[in-house]
Amino acid sequence: MTSSQNSGDRDRESEQWVEQLRPGHPRREQAVAALREALLRVAFHELSRRRGQLAAIRGPELEDLAHQAATDALMNILARLDDFQGRSRFTTWAYKFVVFEVSAKVARHAWRRYPPHELALDRLPDALAPRPGDRLEQREQLQALSAAIDALTARQREVFVAIALNDVPIDVLARELATNRNAIYKNLFDARRNLRASMAAAGHPIRNAA
Amino acid sequence: MADLRRLDELLRAEAGDAGCSAGEAILDAYVELELAGEDPARVFPGTAIHLQSCPGCRADHDGLLEAARRFADVTPE
Repeated sequence: MTSSQNSGDRDRESEQWVEQLRPGHPRREQAVAALREALLRVAFHELSRRRGQLAAIRGPELEDLAHQAATDALMNILARLDDFQGRSRFTTWAYKFVVFEVSAKVARHAWRRYPPHELALDRLPDALAPRPGDRLEQREQLQALSAAIDALTARQREVFVAIALNDVPIDVLARELATNRNAIYKNLFDARRNLRASMAAAGHPIRNAA
Repeated sequence: MADLRRLDELLRAEAGDAGCSAGEAILDAYVELELAGEDPARVFPGTAIHLQSCPGCRADHDGLLEAARRFADVTPE
């Protein structure tokens, strides 16, 4: 089968999904059930992939999270069927909703259980303290970085220290600061850009990552 | 704990970063290009840059790519 035939099959399958999910279609009930089942499988898989953030969760609670994510995603998809533009397979588009639902629910769960002392947002990690084996150049670089972090705005400093240095998940931090991922990322981006500029000004330019 | 030997990673801030919202809207199309063996960075360069720097969006991207690969064979019937 050629790739254009493959792509034609995919398009027909996507059209079939959209058509059968519309209110009034005789096969709507089966299509909704098939979609919900697929979303639930993805939700379980995604929860398992993110289990590192769900350390204390019990079996029934995990199951509940998966069902909630699948149901919320399904409602969202049915309400936004007209937004599907065919730029991907219908299932890829639909799975995006359930991945986002799982992502948000995991963040909420993780935030509720995050050790409060690890959310001490302006706490500089020990890694920034010079160690006995460090070369002079490394010591100077770390000192310059510490000074540059101190010179950031309060919000940029707490975001950079929490995410980049203390590994706090970005969505957990967003919840802690009562904002959203996009706003936190903007703070992180600005902090990184300012730190690069400060490091360069202090004689420690940072080359771009490969 | 961050690896301070990788300051280039730690301080990654590239021009042209599309941010989180732009990527959310097109993530399915981005993943579909990857599944087709194409380079999504050619079509969505700002999101390709963003995914290298934003851990939240990268996790969503990785989850969607894996789900679309594993659970593609689902039909409404």
